[in-house]
Amino acid sequence: MTLELENVGRNINKQWIVENICLTVADNECLALVGPSGCGKSTTLRLIAGLDPVSAGSIHIRGRDITSLSPSERSVGMVFQSYALLPHLTVFENLELGLRVRGVPKPERRFKIKGILDLVQLWNRADNRPAELSGGQRQRVALARALLRDPEVYLLDEPMSNLDAQLREDIRPELRRLVLEQRKPTIYVTHDQHEAMAMAQRIAVLHEGRIEQIDTPYNLYHNPESLFVARFIGRPQINCLKGDSGSIRAVRPESIRFSDEGLSGKLQSREWLGNSQLLFLETQQGVIRMMTSPDQGIPAQIRLTWRAEDEILFDADTGLRSRR
Amino acid sequence: MKATRFLILALLVWSLAPLTWQLYTSFCTDQALVTPFASLNQRWTLDHYQSVLNSNPPFIRYLLNSLFVGGLSTFLTLLLAIPSSYSLSKMGRRSSLVIKFFLIGCALFPYVLLFLALLEIARYLQLGNSLIALAVPYAALSQPLAILLLTNAFSDLPAELEDAARVEGLSVVQRFRWILLPLISPAIASTAILVFLFSWNEYPIALTWISDSGKLTLPVAMARIAGSSIHSVPYGPYAAATVIGSIPLILLVMVFQKPIVSGLTTGAVKG
Repeated sequence: MTLELENVGRNINKQWIVENICLTVADNECLALVGPSGCGKSTTLRLIAGLDPVSAGSIHIRGRDITSLSPSERSVGMVFQSYALLPHLTVFENLELGLRVRGVPKPERRFKIKGILDLVQLWNRADNRPAELSGGQRQRVALARALLRDPEVYLLDEPMSNLDAQLREDIRPELRRLVLEQRKPTIYVTHDQHEAMAMAQRIAVLHEGRIEQIDTPYNLYHNPESLFVARFIGRPQINCLKGDSGSIRAVRPESIRFSDEGLSGKLQSREWLGNSQLLFLETQQGVIRMMTSPDQGIPAQIRLTWRAEDEILFDADTGLRSRR
Repeated sequence: MKATRFLILALLVWSLAPLTWQLYTSFCTDQALVTPFASLNQRWTLDHYQSVLNSNPPFIRYLLNSLFVGGLSTFLTLLLAIPSSYSLSKMGRRSSLVIKFFLIGCALFPYVLLFLALLEIARYLQLGNSLIALAVPYAALSQPLAILLLTNAFSDLPAELEDAARVEGLSVVQRFRWILLPLISPAIASTAILVFLFSWNEYPIALTWISDSGKLTLPVAMARIAGSSIHSVPYGPYAAATVIGSIPLILLVMVFQKPIVSGLTTGAVKG
C-alpha cells in the first residue's frame, strides 16, 4: 500500500478532533472522504499534508514514516477548496514560486510550467492574474500547481465546491483524466456524496471524528454498517421505521411499492424529479418517502409494502447493523 | 442622495476651512491681516515664506530633521510590529485576546504620563540632543496601535494561501517575501502613515530632549517661531511654517493613496 494511516488522531485542548483513523490507499486508487461539516474530513487531509501536527498514530508513504515531517518533505500535492492562488502574481508566477524555492533553474522552470499548462489547456492564460480567470480555470491552475510537484500522493479538499453544478459535471471527467491518470493514491474530500461516488473507487464516511465505514459506493448504499451511513448516503434519504424489540427498519425510497395490503398512508405532497417522482406519504410511522416512476398513478386507498430483502435492520441503541 | 452630498460638503468645509485660512494668512501682508476689508495697495506677499526659509538655521533643516525622525521611527515600528502581529494572528483565541486587551490599554494610556520616566532614562543613557534617540520612544509608543492594525490585516488573509505555500515548501521568510508582505501592503502603508503622523506631530518629548537648535523637529521649531517675540504673535511666518510643514504629509498621503484604497485580496478566495 502506498499511503497508510494507522490510528491517526488529532487532539486539541484534550478534545479529539479526529481519532483512530485507519486508511490505506493504493496506487491508482481514489478514496473519497465524506461526512457532514465538522466531521473531521478536512482535518484528516491536513494531517496527511502535514499542515496540522499529528497527536497519535503514524502515517506512511511507500513505507516511509512521514508522521513528523514538514509539509514540503512529504511529497504531497494538494488542491485547496479556495484554490489558494496568490492574487498579486500571474498564473505563471504562481506556478513558478514553488519551483523557484526548490532551486529549479530558470529554463527548466519555464519548460515544466509550459508542459503542465498545456496539459490543463491554460498556456494562453499564463500571464493573467487569478482574478481574470473563471472559477473553472482557477481550479485548473490550482490543479496544475499540484501536478507540477509530481507528488507521491494527491490530496483534493473540496476541489469543486466553489463551482456551479453544471461546471462541476463538466470538470469531473477532466479531473479524472488529470489526477487519476497519474496512478498515484488520491484522497478526495467532499461533502457531496454524488461527487464522491462519481470520483472514488472507495468512500470513507466520517462521523464525529471517526470513520464509520470504508467501502465501495455500491456497498455503502446497499449494505450500510450503521444507521448514520444509511441516512447519510442516498438521496432522498432512507426511510426509518420502528421495528420490534428496539430495532429500526430502514428502507430505501425506491424500494417502497403500492399494494393491496400493508402500511396505510395518505399523500402529503409530491415532487417531480424529471425521470422519477418523489412522494411524501403520511403514515402512522411518520412521513415515508417513496420514489417511483413519473407515470405511476396514485391509488385511492394507499397501502405501502416492500420486499423483505430490501429492508435493513439496525439496533436502535447502538445504531449498528443487526443481522437476522 | 442629496443628504449625503450635503454631509460630504459640510465635512469638507469643516476640515478644509482651517487649512485654507492658514494658507490665506501665510500669503497676506501683516497689514492685510489686521484690516481684512480695507483696500490696500499691497495685500499679497511672499515675505513670510522668505523670512521662514532664510532664518538661521534654515527652516528646511527642521523639515529634514522631522523627516529623518519620522522615517526612522516608522521603520523601527514596522520592524517590530510586523513579526509580532503575525505571531499574534496565529495564536489561540484566548491568549491573543488577552494580549490585545493589554495592547489596547497601552494605546489608550496617555503617554505624557510616561514622560518623566522617559526623560530619566534618556538622561541616564545620555540620549539628549540626538535625533536617533527621539525615534526610539516614538517607535515604542506607536507599537500598540501598529500591532493591533496589522494583526487584523494578517487575520483577514485566507489561511489557505499560507497552507498552500507550506505544501510548496516556502519557509517563513519566503512566505513573508512572496505572500504576506505583498498582500498586507495596504495595511502596512496605512499603519506607516499613522506612525509617521504621530512622530511628525509629537511635541513634548521633542521639546525636552532636544535643545540644540540645529536638531529641532518641526513642531518645536514652529512653536519657537510663534513665541519668538513677547510683544506680538508673528501670524504670517507661523502660517507659512505650517504650510511648509504640511506639504510632505500631503505628498505622502497622495503617494500611498492607491495601496490604501485598493483591495489587493480581491479574487483570492471566491470562485
